[in-house]
Amino acid sequence: MNTIQDLFSGFMSFLRGMKITGANLGRDKTTVLYPYEKADVAPRYRGLFVLPFNEANGRLNCTGCTLCIQACPTNVITLTKLGAGKHGGIQDFQMDLGRCMFCNLCVEACPFEAIEMTTQFELASTDRNVCVFPLTSLAQGGAAAAEKNYNTISTALAAEAAEKAAKAAAAGESGGHGAAHAPKEGA
Amino acid sequence: MVNTATTEQRHTVEVNLGPQHPSTHGVLRLLVELDGEIIVSCRPVIGYLHRGLEKMFEKRSYKQTIPFTDRMDYCASLNGNLAICQAIERLGGLQAPERAQYIRVLLCELNRIASHLVFLATYATDIGATTVFLYAFREREKCLDLMECMTGARLTYNYVRPGGIPQDLPDGFENGLNCFLDDLLKALEENDRLLTGNRIFRGRLEGVGVVSPEMAAAYGASGPVARGSGLNYDVRKTAPYEVYDRLEFDVPVYHTGDCMARYLVRIEEMRQSARIIRQCLKDMPAGEIMCKMPKIFKPPIGQAFSRTESPRGELSFYMVSDGTPNPARVHGRTPSFVHLGMLPAMLPGVKIADVIAILGSLDTVLGEVDR
Repeated sequence: MNTIQDLFSGFMSFLRGMKITGANLGRDKTTVLYPYEKADVAPRYRGLFVLPFNEANGRLNCTGCTLCIQACPTNVITLTKLGAGKHGGIQDFQMDLGRCMFCNLCVEACPFEAIEMTTQFELASTDRNVCVFPLTSLAQGGAAAAEKNYNTISTALAAEAAEKAAKAAAAGESGGHGAAHAPKEGA
Repeated sequence: MVNTATTEQRHTVEVNLGPQHPSTHGVLRLLVELDGEIIVSCRPVIGYLHRGLEKMFEKRSYKQTIPFTDRMDYCASLNGNLAICQAIERLGGLQAPERAQYIRVLLCELNRIASHLVFLATYATDIGATTVFLYAFREREKCLDLMECMTGARLTYNYVRPGGIPQDLPDGFENGLNCFLDDLLKALEENDRLLTGNRIFRGRLEGVGVVSPEMAAAYGASGPVARGSGLNYDVRKTAPYEVYDRLEFDVPVYHTGDCMARYLVRIEEMRQSARIIRQCLKDMPAGEIMCKMPKIFKPPIGQAFSRTESPRGELSFYMVSDGTPNPARVHGRTPSFVHLGMLPAMLPGVKIADVIAILGSLDTVLGEVDR
C-alpha cells in the first residue's frame, strides 16, 4: 500500500513541475538575440573611457596632473605632459585597456572631470595591440579634438611665454628707478 | 568488501574530478580514490586560480585594494568590498554616514540574493534539473540589472569605499527594486513547487553529505553550511555590523545537516534578504553618503579585523598598517576555503554521484579559495 502511495505522490510531484514548465512556456521572452538586438545599458555603466572636449575653451579638460595615474591599481594610464601651470595640458594620453579593471577609481580621482566612462562595452578583440587606446581614440571628437587640444594649448603656452618675456624685458629696462617693484614682479 | 582478507587485494581507482569539470564550478581538482562506486578518499587540489592577491594588496594603496576583492568571491563581490572597507575604516577610525550604511546593507543583501540564485541555478543543474537553471538566471538577470543601474558593473562592482559609498541611488531605483522583489518572491514560491517538492531532487539530497554540528564547529564552518547543521551562527546577528542591529530578520537554521538542509537555508535566506531590503528602503535617512577623507589616506600604525556575513559564510579581513599609504599585511579569511577543507572528511563512504551534490551544497567559489 505504501509503495503505491509513494509512487502516486512521486508522480504528482512530476506533474506539478510539468505544470509550471508549461505555464512558463507562455511567458514573454527575457533574452535578446545579441549581435542583432542590443539590451539597454544603464547610464552608469562603466565602459570605454572618453576624455571630454571642452568646446568653450577649445581643449580637453585634462591638465596632466597625473592623479588618475596615482589612483590606478593596475598602471593602465601613461601620459605625456604639454607645458605646465595655468595652461598645462596633455600631448599624449594612452590607456592599455588590456590591463584595465574598469574600477572607476581614475574617474573618481580626477578633479577636473577630464576622464569619464561611456556605456560602450564592445571592446573585445583578437589582438592585444588593439587594447591600447591612444589619445586620438580616447578624446571626445577623436583625432581632430586631440589636434585642436594641442593647438590651443601650445598657442596659449607660447602667448604666456611671450608675455613673460615682455614683462622680463620691461622689468630689465625699468630696473633703475623701479627697484621697489622688481621683487614683487619676480614673486 | 569490508572483509579484511579482501582489503589487501582491493583494487582502487584514482579519478580526477576537474579541473575542467562543469560541476566543480571553477578550477577545482578533486583527486578521488574509488573502490567501485564508493569513495575511499578524496584530496582537493587547489591553486589553479591563485593570483597572490594578499601580496598584491601590500603593493597598493588602501583604496586600490578594493577592486581586487571583487575578484575573490565574484558571485557576491559587494560583500568582499564591504569586508575590506570595514577593515580599512577600523584602521583609520572612519565612520560611514548612516545613509551610506543603509545603502551598503541594501546592496549586500541584493548581492546575496544574486549569489544564492546562482547557487540555486547551478545546484539544480548539477542534480539534473536544467529548467531551474533558466528560471533562476532569469531572476538573477533582473537583479544584475539593478546592480548595474546602481554601481555601473554587473559582476565586479567595486562600489564600497572607505568612509561611505561613491554614488547615491539612481532615479527610479526603488521602483525597480520593489518590482524585482515581488517577482523574486513569486519565483521562489514557484521554485518550491517545481524543485523543493520534487521527488528526485529530494531523493538525491536528503540524508546525503551529513555534517554534524560538532564537525561543523570543529572545521570552522560558517554561513549556510553551519546553519544547515543546526548551528545558529550568523555574523549579522552575533556581531552586527553596519545597520544590521536595527533591522528585523530571521536566521534560518535547519538541523538535519544534509545537502537538503543547506539548500533550504539558502532559499529561506533569499526571502529574509528581501525582507531586509524592504526595511532598508523604508528606514533609509537622507543625507551624506561619504564622510570626510584626507587626500592621502595614511591610517595610524595598528591592526584591524573585520567580520562580515557573505553569502558563503563568514568573510573576514585582517589588516596591518605601518603608517604608510600601503597596508603592511592583509589576510582574507574566506569561507569557501574553509568549507572546501571539510570535503576529505565528508566524502569517504559516499557514492561518486553524490560528490557533485555534496560539493555543490557547499557552494564554494574558487576565486575565493585560491585568492
